[in-house]
Amino acid sequence: MSQWLNHVLERASTVDDWLSPVRAQALDTLKQQQWPTRRTEAWRYTSLHPVADLELKAASVNATAEAPLIEGLNSLDLVFVDGQLNTDISQLKLPEGVTISELSAPSQTAEALFAQVKPSRHLFGLVNDVLAQQGVVIDIAAGAKVEQPIRIVNFASAGIESHQRTLVRVGENAQATIIEHGSGSGNSLNTAFAEYDIAEKARLEHYRFALHEGEAIHIGGSHFKLHDHAKLNSTLIGYGSQLTRLDVDIEHAGEHAFAKFNNVYLLAPRQHFDLHSTIEHASPNGTTEENARGIIGDRAKAVFNGRIHIHRHAQKTLAELNNRNLLLTRGAQINTKPELEIYADDVQCAHGATVAEIDEDALYYMLTRGIDKQQALVMLNFGFVQEMVSQMPNKALADWLQPILKTRFESMMEQQ
Amino acid sequence: MLSINDLHARVEDTTILKGLDLEIKPGEVHAIMGPNGAGKSTLGYVLSGRDGYEVESGSVEMNGKDLLDMEVEERAQAGIFLAFQYPVEIPGVSNMEFMKESVNAIREARGENALSSAEFLKKAKDACKQVELPLDFLKRGVNEGFSGGEKKRNEIMQLIMLEPKLAILDESDSGLDVDALQVVAKGVNSQRDGERSFIVVTHYQRLLDYIQPDYVHIISNGKIVKSGGPELAKEVEASGYAWLAEAEGVDA
Ligand SMILES: Nc1ncnc2c1ncn2[C@@H]1O[C@H](COP(=O)(O)OP(=O)(O)O)[C@@H](O)[C@H]1O
Ligand SMILES: [Mg+2]
Repeated sequence: MSQWLNHVLERASTVDDWLSPVRAQALDTLKQQQWPTRRTEAWRYTSLHPVADLELKAASVNATAEAPLIEGLNSLDLVFVDGQLNTDISQLKLPEGVTISELSAPSQTAEALFAQVKPSRHLFGLVNDVLAQQGVVIDIAAGAKVEQPIRIVNFASAGIESHQRTLVRVGENAQATIIEHGSGSGNSLNTAFAEYDIAEKARLEHYRFALHEGEAIHIGGSHFKLHDHAKLNSTLIGYGSQLTRLDVDIEHAGEHAFAKFNNVYLLAPRQHFDLHSTIEHASPNGTTEENARGIIGDRAKAVFNGRIHIHRHAQKTLAELNNRNLLLTRGAQINTKPELEIYADDVQCAHGATVAEIDEDALYYMLTRGIDKQQALVMLNFGFVQEMVSQMPNKALADWLQPILKTRFESMMEQQ
Repeated sequence: MLSINDLHARVEDTTILKGLDLEIKPGEVHAIMGPNGAGKSTLGYVLSGRDGYEVESGSVEMNGKDLLDMEVEERAQAGIFLAFQYPVEIPGVSNMEFMKESVNAIREARGENALSSAEFLKKAKDACKQVELPLDFLKRGVNEGFSGGEKKRNEIMQLIMLEPKLAILDESDSGLDVDALQVVAKGVNSQRDGERSFIVVTHYQRLLDYIQPDYVHIISNGKIVKSGGPELAKEVEASGYAWLAEAEGVDA
């Protein structure tokens, strides 16, 4: 058992708000959980040692921070500092069709989504269920085409433990862009879980930037439920830190839903990044395209577990899952496991994972063209990441991210 | 401009070049012919500085400088260009981006300004036209999914763009039909300006009908066993390489 988890259970009993009945259920489930060890399948390659006896402070109410500016994005920003909402929602000029409320305020949307989309098997999801008192509830009205991206910024300061929650409902035929933008580098623990319900014919463009670094511990998830003809285009970017663990669930609850999920992890030396994704094809005629690509620096460790589960009735499913990794040194590690579980007979599925080292032939070819080694390495190894960035539908985000990732990669190469 | 003296080189534990001599003056075209496995590609790799190709003894000087002392990219910047027998595919790096980096790296080394995007584009378009490569090939990943012939033409396109002092063409003719062969030869010939030198490696005489060499050398078992003028290529065509075994027997 973990000292930290014991404290969570104690603290949970002091949380009292309108969500208490749901939280109580989560608490029951949580109490039955064993603290994960290496023998726990979901944590086989990620040690929770840094969390087990962690003692951090709760957030101070006064902390403030500015959302990092992304030029040309013009986003509507909801800023959380250590789990505390820093933005006065009542002062926001909301685009037409958008309603935003705090988690603490009772709402039908929150009631319908809280712990309903996110599967209960995620240990830290349950922790978030019982402890996250602050969060936002975003409602996109049926038919609303919201151009302005909505960004949820999550800062984690050194020395603080925080829990944040996001609930989003995209109404029928509506369109929206949501960005979950997290960062922090000091010794901290932040959990951030988001649940999305995407109604019939609705479209969600989603980004999760888990830009935690250094001593930060970040554990979270984004969980999606797709109804008939719903479309999701999601991009996840991770840096890896002392411990970053993300769980993504995409459920094709309705027919003819489409999900594209790209993700990129760029791990500096000694960082840890773990992504578990589960795609549930519970209905027929769904499509999933998942691409995970990572570059892993010296003594860094990436874990990718991508599961696609095609239920018996989910005929005519098209699903592809691909994971490509580049190890920068012999000391870099990846544990990759793409899994397909197919119970329907009329489906088209493909999955694969590759682990490569630096392509010496391509490098040599570039050198013979006079390109210096450092530059050649960037061009060669950044290309497959760049491809993912260039597929991001939001141009301002792609233009912002591209040089940041490139600089990060260049410094990773220098540290080798 | 290039002077190779008694060059011995090995890959792993096998010595492949066993005392190769070659003297090239500015503007000259030297054809190197020989059977498979003779060491032709190895020569190109050693001259370009490929990792794993270790020089055991001998020397290579380019315009008085020790070529073997330079890094791969420094050699390229000094004016060595190798058109690969098997050009490498680089998915994810566009031909355009690749060429732009390359042209500007070499220009910078020569003390010239980087080309502007417009200047570069014009040059790239002209080069593509010369080798009849459609312009959209610039947007594709380097050699990615190109046919054999397209790869070879892409190499010549690069040769045209990079304006080297010495171009080494490693079987730029292999796998080409006659039409493509002529396109490649035309591209190469357009770069003959009396200053630029060429080493044209080929297994067959055919290419030399289109690219007239000044000298022809026959390489076998890691060294040049016979040198002559263009007529030597015709002899090879007539008699093949079988006589080499005999000649080597006499040698030993
Ligand atoms: N990487 C390598 N390891 C071991 N032997 C090699 C390697 N590359 C080439 N060789 C050998 O060196 C000899 C010359 O090869 P190469 O230069 O490619 O010949 P050519 O181009 O004339 O056909 C051949 O016997 C070949 O098997
Ligand atoms: Mg060869």
